[in-house]
Amino acid sequence: MVITDPVYFIALPLLTAFLLPLFGKIYKPLIGIIPGLVFAFLAYISFDLYLNLVPGKPIIIQMAGWAPPWGINLVFSEFSGLIVTLITFLAFLVWVYSYNFKKVGFDNSKKYFTLLMLMVAGSIGVVLTGDIFNMFVFLEITAIYSYGLTAFYKGRDSAEAAFKYLLLGSLSSVFILLAILLLYKQVGTLNMADIAVKAQSIDPKMKSIIAILFFVGLGIEAEMFPMNGWVPDAYSQAPGPVAASFAGMLAKSGIYALIRVFYTVLEVKGVFDLLLIMGLLTIIFAEFSAMRQKHLRRMLAYSSIGQMGLIMVAFSFNTKAGIFAGLFLMFNHAIIKTLLFLSSGFLTYSTKQKKIRDLDGFGKIMPFTSLMFGLGAFAIVGLPPFSGFWGKLNMLVATADSNLYFVIALILLVAVVEIVYYFKVIGRLYFRQQHKDVEVHNPTWNAILAMSILAIVIIGVGIYPDLITDYLTKATNELFDKAGYIHSVLPNLSLN
Amino acid sequence: MNSLVLLILIIAGGALLSYFGHKINKILGNITVFAVALIIPIYWFTQVDFTETVSFTVSGFHMELGYNMYGKLFSMIVMILSPLALIYAIGYMKDQKKLATFYFSFLFSILGMTGILMSRDFVSLFIFWEIMTWSSYLLVIFLGKDVQKTGIKYMVFSAIGAYAMLMAIVIIYKNTGSMMLSDYFGSFAGFTLQTKLLTGILLLLGFAVKSAVMPLHVWAPGAYSNTPMAYTSVFSGALSKMGIYGLGFVVVNLFAQANLEIVGYVLAWMGAITAVLATFSAVFQHDAKKLLAYSSIAQLGYIVTGIGIGTELSIMAGLYLAVLHAAFKGVLFMVVGAVERQAGTTDMNVVSGLARKMPFTFFTALIAIIALAGIPPLGGFVGKWMLYESLINNSNFLMVIMIFLSSTAAFLYCFKFLFGLFLGQQEPEFDHVKEASPVMIIPMLLLSVFLLVTGAYPGIVFKYVAEGMTNLGFHDVNWQMSVLTNAWGDSVNVQHVYLSVVVVFVAFLIFITWRGYKHSTKISTKDISSSGEMIKPEDNMTYAMDFYKPFQRVLQPILKWKINKYYEDFGKGLEALFDFMRRIYTGNGQTYAVYVIIFLAILLIFSKSIFGY
Amino acid sequence: MQEFLTYSIYGTAFFLMLLGLYAVLMKKNLVKIVIGLTVLDSGLNLLFVAVGYISGGTAPIFSPAVVGKHVIMTDPVPQALVLTAIVIGFGVTAVALALVVRLYRKHNTTNIDEIKNLKW
Repeated sequence: MVITDPVYFIALPLLTAFLLPLFGKIYKPLIGIIPGLVFAFLAYISFDLYLNLVPGKPIIIQMAGWAPPWGINLVFSEFSGLIVTLITFLAFLVWVYSYNFKKVGFDNSKKYFTLLMLMVAGSIGVVLTGDIFNMFVFLEITAIYSYGLTAFYKGRDSAEAAFKYLLLGSLSSVFILLAILLLYKQVGTLNMADIAVKAQSIDPKMKSIIAILFFVGLGIEAEMFPMNGWVPDAYSQAPGPVAASFAGMLAKSGIYALIRVFYTVLEVKGVFDLLLIMGLLTIIFAEFSAMRQKHLRRMLAYSSIGQMGLIMVAFSFNTKAGIFAGLFLMFNHAIIKTLLFLSSGFLTYSTKQKKIRDLDGFGKIMPFTSLMFGLGAFAIVGLPPFSGFWGKLNMLVATADSNLYFVIALILLVAVVEIVYYFKVIGRLYFRQQHKDVEVHNPTWNAILAMSILAIVIIGVGIYPDLITDYLTKATNELFDKAGYIHSVLPNLSLN
Repeated sequence: MNSLVLLILIIAGGALLSYFGHKINKILGNITVFAVALIIPIYWFTQVDFTETVSFTVSGFHMELGYNMYGKLFSMIVMILSPLALIYAIGYMKDQKKLATFYFSFLFSILGMTGILMSRDFVSLFIFWEIMTWSSYLLVIFLGKDVQKTGIKYMVFSAIGAYAMLMAIVIIYKNTGSMMLSDYFGSFAGFTLQTKLLTGILLLLGFAVKSAVMPLHVWAPGAYSNTPMAYTSVFSGALSKMGIYGLGFVVVNLFAQANLEIVGYVLAWMGAITAVLATFSAVFQHDAKKLLAYSSIAQLGYIVTGIGIGTELSIMAGLYLAVLHAAFKGVLFMVVGAVERQAGTTDMNVVSGLARKMPFTFFTALIAIIALAGIPPLGGFVGKWMLYESLINNSNFLMVIMIFLSSTAAFLYCFKFLFGLFLGQQEPEFDHVKEASPVMIIPMLLLSVFLLVTGAYPGIVFKYVAEGMTNLGFHDVNWQMSVLTNAWGDSVNVQHVYLSVVVVFVAFLIFITWRGYKHSTKISTKDISSSGEMIKPEDNMTYAMDFYKPFQRVLQPILKWKINKYYEDFGKGLEALFDFMRRIYTGNGQTYAVYVIIFLAILLIFSKSIFGY
Repeated sequence: MQEFLTYSIYGTAFFLMLLGLYAVLMKKNLVKIVIGLTVLDSGLNLLFVAVGYISGGTAPIFSPAVVGKHVIMTDPVPQALVLTAIVIGFGVTAVALALVVRLYRKHNTTNIDEIKNLKW
């Protein structure tokens, strides 16, 4: 491979995004094609880099030639690489899906792809960076373009959703920045590995305040209860593929930042117990709210929050089994929720009010889309032989490992609720008489392709989960091995 | 290639082929289904090597497939009943739409059941269990009736059961470090009492849901009667037996051997109560489907009682009844399906007197009803005999009375079923009714022949039951081909009973026919002369109308107590709670911001108790 | 005096932040909320600069005037960070105001309590 530099992950989409209008001036279809080429290229190099990664030796790039801890560095390790690969893969699929998404005209598609590429660049940056302030910057980049994407459609209540998101997102940025400020004041460095080394010397009182600020700030991004009011609005108002990329990328980078900070950078006692409690509350409130939703997209959004809660719970065990399960859940959530949002995009497109009860009998008039939705629903509630099952099983095994039997019971009881609302939709799709005068919008061939790829991944991993378990195990080891991370970023440092 | 893996692949492949076959064209699809229905049992009976095992490690879990004799017994039920039902379905589902989905789900549920019975570890057991659950769910809501109510109820109960099982599984994995069933059984004695009860009862819960034990039975009447009858015969005949399969090894291999017979005993009681209450409910149904559904629950109650008692004889009785129940309930649901298809309804207040129109159907129904009711010449009698004996041996006299009460009351609904559909006067509006097509009749006849044979030679079934029981720890179970013995030293040769009853019956039939032709005239229900009271033409004078009204009046207080209502109220309460909980998402962005600040403040205030500083 | 100055800067920063937070949480007008956000940001930026300041330090510029001498420089990193944060804050404010305009066009009001079509 010629190009082995992870810096392309950020530089390339940033550059092309701003050049995109110019390309459009030259030849209009370039607007649609260029992002695809960029995403394909990113997906390709991320797969290439990830598969050729030497265990225990992450690729570390120093920006502007300054070695860490002074310069900003990018870390492409087994863990961050996995998430980046996932993000680029999904970004490519989202492009395939929305390449000629009908509502997006030329002017709109210019904005759409520009914003989308910037959001992807931001999410990748959050995951790759090894510098805490840089992480903040990328979180903000992601957030700003997400506001834009949320408010993309003018006719709907999208501005309202975007404003709520913006309000909470700004608060989040204030808290993160404050936390970084306090942290910098204490340790005098911004490099995450360096902070991790020096963090032991911080006054515990101060450390807990920093941890709380990070927890709240990143919790907003990671859709944690009670700070997730923006999620259902943003997911339901954004265009279909954007909601999919929110679930697949935005939420992923949020939870990545959260766990990176608490696993690697700051070691605070008790934060994982807090994460467990908040994760459980997130699951409960989200799934219960999802149960009573009348709008399909809102239902999916709440369900997405519930999944994020589950991921938080998995990571809160602070054990290898827990991290492994959490990563598996992240993978599942990214793939399956993307499929659900993509298919629901066409389902709701054909209804007037986007309500669940408008979907009666759609299995007949939109067979492929309904099938994909049904498959996604089966997978997300954890029915075998789909990939969701293995995530759930690993999750429960990890829970049992930590002796938290009541958590198992709680998760499973909530899963029953989840089954109910998803199967209600399936029942309507397939076993009801359809309403009259439904305007059908059948998926375009590229949308079919994107959904099929996701479906194949879901079934493939469901039947043979060992396709990914090796990589997940490696990522788990990398995240769990804090000293290894510090050592590979700061090779000259003697740890004692 | 390993024959077990191949079996699974054949069924899965059959499912896909039937799916695409039916997508292309109906005839091609039906041919495929027919071929698959033949290939699966032929392959199973001739090619499958029951000593073979196959193991693989997936996602760090060691999984192993392999038959044991106990699983083989249940597999036989599946492998005989399901292909017959598939063939029956070709005729029964002829005019339905979405056949591709139907056969796909049908075959996948067969795949699930087959897999469950060959699983030697919990992961594959659970995987196949879930496959069975979702495929049967798709069939429950297939006709689009009561999708939200019945379908969701079925799914909720199945999910609760499955998740109870899953919880048990992960706790077991935590305690033994292995997913193998045998490791669990082996190390069960070493667990703490708490773990024993927790894992065992959770497993029991999972299996009890599928075998419709009260109070977890509420999904069953709706689900059984809502499903296309072609599948219900498998649903009630084979799928519910998966619960029995699990109950068997949990009660016997675990609790009985860990000196916790009390759990089995409680289960037996629940079975007995189920039997009584479900029988009473069955008596007053006027829809033949619902009647059979309740009757299924009641019959499963007997089986559960037999398994729960846990002695050699009682388990044998339970398993024997399980096999027979599959056969006669299979036939009966097919009969109802045939009636539904030919006459258009199964309401016994409407249909009557079909015996002449559908003689074969009537004949098979008669055989199955005799077997169900436990009237001597046929197999049901043997099973009940053994059940009573085992209960008496264990001095569970109260339970004997209950089972006896229930099986006596069962006569009532058996009688009502036969009369309501087949006997009585024939209504003019059913003149056009014809016998069902041979595709439907042949599976019913084959199963009836099996019932007739087991009447004289119950040993055919005992052989496999005894084999199966070796895996439950009962070796050298004593059985004879046609002779029943009891603990008091009496013995009865069933063949003699069989012959004498048949002779009497045939003689009686000849007598009746001879006399009947001389003296009877045919009248319809509309042709009635009244004494004083004027009969309006719209009055429903069908024979089965208000069949057991006096009896119903007596039982009113018992029947009024419906557990279903409590579940529904509970569900409504939960929904109200959910509605209340989601009010926190007020829609006001500022409120959300306030939440954030409050959350931050709470964390800062309690940081000492959370973080220690 | 120096001490007083430092603390007064800290005090001003916290005051600004609380003021901004008050506006965000209590004011019903969308524009005021956005202003609150900006004030909150400004307070934070001020705090950042204050933290980086070392009393008696010179500007952290590598010039001939300081080469080879022992001088105390203020910490340059927070200043760089503040620049970034200001830019981000500017971007967010711009987006926010654009959204306010659209909300006003749609709802004919800037009262946040009346803009809740999406709820529960």
